[in-house]
Order: sequence, then structure tokens, then C-alpha cells
Amino acid sequence: MSMADDILVDMQNVDKYFGANKILDNVDFTVKRGEVVVLIGPSGSGKTTLLRCINHLETIEHGRIMVNGKMIGYREIGGKLIEDRERNIAVQRRDVGMVFQRFNLFANMNVLRNIAISPQLVRKAAKQEALAQARALLKRVGLAEKEEAYPSELSGGQQQRVAIARALAMNPAILLFDEPTSALDPEMVGEVLAVMREIAQSGMTMVVVTHEMGFARQVADRVVVMAQGRIIEQGPPDQIFGAPSHPVTQRLLGAVLH
Amino acid sequence: MHFDWSYFWAQLLTPSSAFLVGLGLTVAMAVSAEIIGVVLGLLFAQLRLSRRRSLRAIASLYIWAVRGTPLLVQIVFIYTGLAAAGIMHFSDFTLAGITIPGNLQAGILALGLHEGAYMAEIFRAGIMAVDKGQTEAAKALGMPPLMLMRHVVLPQALRVILLPIGNQFNILLKNTTLVSVIGVSEMLLVTETINSATFRTFELYAVLGIYFLILTSAWSLFMGWVEKRLQLGRKSKIVRIQAVAAEAES
Ligand SMILES: Nc1ncnc2c1ncn2[C@@H]1O[C@H](COP(=O)(O)OP(=O)(O)OP(=O)(O)O)[C@@H](O)[C@H]1O
Ligand SMILES: [Mg+2]
Repeated sequence: MSMADDILVDMQNVDKYFGANKILDNVDFTVKRGEVVVLIGPSGSGKTTLLRCINHLETIEHGRIMVNGKMIGYREIGGKLIEDRERNIAVQRRDVGMVFQRFNLFANMNVLRNIAISPQLVRKAAKQEALAQARALLKRVGLAEKEEAYPSELSGGQQQRVAIARALAMNPAILLFDEPTSALDPEMVGEVLAVMREIAQSGMTMVVVTHEMGFARQVADRVVVMAQGRIIEQGPPDQIFGAPSHPVTQRLLGAVLH
Repeated sequence: MHFDWSYFWAQLLTPSSAFLVGLGLTVAMAVSAEIIGVVLGLLFAQLRLSRRRSLRAIASLYIWAVRGTPLLVQIVFIYTGLAAAGIMHFSDFTLAGITIPGNLQAGILALGLHEGAYMAEIFRAGIMAVDKGQTEAAKALGMPPLMLMRHVVLPQALRVILLPIGNQFNILLKNTTLVSVIGVSEMLLVTETINSATFRTFELYAVLGIYFLILTSAWSLFMGWVEKRLQLGRKSKIVRIQAVAAEAES
């Protein structure tokens, strides 16, 4: 495997604006295959936005983002970047799974259908195969008995575990998590983190935005700190948590740890 | 005042065959126009929500023009106006032994175009009422726009759009009378024709009104039944939630 194959996400010089506000400011961000990156930073620093750019749920105004060796969201025509067609972007998104803060399970489908529908419709898997895989994934997240339930009948923790199973069902190359436990009651945080830990151990490439510093310490290969739309510091968890060099990081970790 | 009861009952209970044909035409026009309207409505709702400004502009123009002009004007414009300008002449058309007259085609088209503009707004509101997170989750899983619309958004929008669609069809049923102006022999025109020979205006229009009441009431009953079914679906879900909660407690 060459060096280039090793890099799954490669963001270069990315600027993102909402109106006149610069939300991402010249961001360079890479994720290697198999790596678990935890993204932290104060509220409003642009963590969610960065994550959403990786699967082009947000447009960017400058720079480029490569996923799996292909530019996402844009085509280069005569030196200019033109936004790609929705159906081409859809094809690229198959390989980038996302888990949302508010779960976003499909309210009109039961749990099994939530998981099986995209392999079936998007990947064109045979129905029986998709259902069998969905059942296996439900078992993996500890919800084998809930396949008939509708999302509204599940607790937050259960919904989030189903959402993780749903993302895994597409066999993505990478999973993006945006504060997957911050909408949960405290007693349900553990069950979701346990599932995420198991997935990380299985070798999945992950980018996780979280305030769960214990999880970050144990599971992250690298911790990235953002402030005001920039990456201000990054390194192995021991370094970031043990000897943070940037004052914003020091304040942030001070606030969380004490 | 004189009201001829026996004439009234005769017209009501044993209507002429011309009147029955008119009744059939009224229903056929409303149903065909509704189908056209739903298709156009879905299409233009998509265009209005498109990320391309030009598509949004086209849809807004259509909705603005249709909703801002009288249906009667639209009907005459499409049938008589387009023909006079040499743009489009609706001529009779025979399919499988059934002749569909040009004015009927124009009438259905006009009603359908009219309905489409209202449907587009209803669908747009329904689509916008669905939580944005649902669309984002579907996108993130790689679903292309039409697939996510069909499997995720529209099924959830249905609850919101069903009632206004039902009301709109009620209006459409009554609006079919306007097509009499281009000579389609639906119930109103048949009634007018009989009236010009008999001058039993009071009785004849009472009968016509009752026939419309029967149509619109049947439709209301049907919509009530559909809504109850949807609500029952929801209620059975609540009962299940309670059962689950009880199980968890025990
Ligand atoms: N759709 C939007 N329109 C306008 N501004 C937005 C939008 N989404 C985010 N922003 C702004 O962009 C900035 C970064 O937001 P973002 O959600 O990425 O931050 P975050 O780091 O995820 O914060 P948090 O920890 O609160 O989730 C904020 O100032 C926010 O107000
Ligand atoms: Mg956020």
C-alpha cells in the first residue's frame, strides 16, 4: 500500500462561510486508514461544520476535500471547482457513514427496515441478505430483540445504537460521529460509548466529535483541537491531555476535567 | 312561490340520461384533473425546493400565474385563446372506441394545471414539515434525491398533506362546473339546457345542488375514514409504547 492509499480523508486549505462569517479558516485535516481521531473544541468552534464538509452536507468556499482518493462535492472544470450533481455526490457518500447527535432514525420505518433499507436500495443487496446483515448488526449493538420496534418506542441510547448499526450496514470506509452521546440521559451514555469502543477496536476509521474525554483518552489515536474555525493543536491523547500547549486547550480541558 | 314537488322528485330520482352522462363527466374530469394535479404538484414542489435558482424561478412563476388568475379565465384561455392564436387547437381524439372531445381535453388540462399549482404548495409545505434530520440521514447513507423523497420524506409528509389535498379535491369537484363555459356537457350545462326548454329553474337547480352535495359528502366520508385509519395507526403505536413501558417497569 502506498502512502496515498493510507490517507482516507485529506482536507486542504478549506474555508467555509455562513454568510459573511468565516466558520472554517484555512483548515488542513487528514485521517489515515484505521485511525481514530477525536475532535474537541469550544462550542461554536466549527467541529460539526468540519465533519459535515467531509460528506458534503455543507458546501465549501475554498480548498478541496479528498475522500478515498476522490474529490467530494466538486468537479474541477478548467481549473475551477463546480459543485457536483446530487446523484454523483450520493454515490460518494455511500462510503462515509455518519452518526448524528439527534439520531435521525427514519420515523416511518421499524428498526430492521431502518438498517436494511440503504444496503437494499443503494447498494442493491438482495432483500434476504440485507435483512440477515441487519439482524447481525442489531445483535452486535445489543438490540437483537428490538427489530420490530419503531424509533419512537426506543430510548435515546437504543436509538443511537440502531443509528450506528444503520451506518455500519453500508460498510463505510469511515464513520463520522457528531457528539453521539450529548443528547442522551447520563445513564445511557455508557452503552453507546461501549459500542463505539468495540467498533474502533475492529479497525474502523473514525472521526468523533465528543466531550467525553475518558473515551478520547482511551480510544483516540490522535486528538485534534479546534478554536474559531482553526485547528490549533493536535497530537496523541497523552500529549494533548498531559501537556496541552495552547491556552484554549488548557482552558477547555480545565473546564472539562475539573 | 310555486315549487313543483313531483317534477323535483322525478328529476332527482329518475334523472335524464344526459344528466347522468353529465354526472359521469363531472366525476371523470375531477379525477383526471386531480391525477394531473398531483403529478404536477409533486414536480413543481421539487422544483421550488431545488438548489438551482432557475428551477425555483420556473416553479414560482407557474404557481404565481395560476393562483393569481381566475380559473374561468384559464379555461377560456387554454381552449379558445390558444386556438385563436393558432398555438394549439384541441381536436377530438378517439381511443379504444371512446371519443374524447377537444373541449373536454382542454377542460381537464386547465383544471389539472390549476390543481397542480395548489398541490405544489401543499406538497411543499408537507415536505418542509418533515424534520431536516431525516433528509440528512438519508443523504449521508448515499440515497439520491428521488429515493430519499419516495422512501423517507413523502411517507412522513403524508399525514400533513392528506387533509389539505382532500379539501382541494372538494373544491375541484365543484369547480368542474366552470368547464361548461367551453361547452362540456357536465351537470351544470345539462341542467341549463333542460331549463331553457322547461323554465323549471328552481326545481332543476335544487336537484343540481343536491347532486353536488351527494358527491362532496361522499368524498368527505371517505376522507374521514382515511383519516381515522391513520389515527388508529398512530393510536395502536401509543398503546404499544405503553405496553413497552409497562414491561420495562415490571
Ligand atoms: N446553518 C448555519 N447557518 C449559519 N451559521 C451557522 C450554521 N451552522 C453553524 N453556524 C455557525 O458556525 C459556527 C460553527 O458551528 P458548529 O456547529 O460547526 O460548531 P461546533 O464546534 O460544532 O459547536 P458545538 O460544540 O456547539 O456543537 C457557529 O458560530 C455557528 O453559529
Ligand atoms: Mg456541533
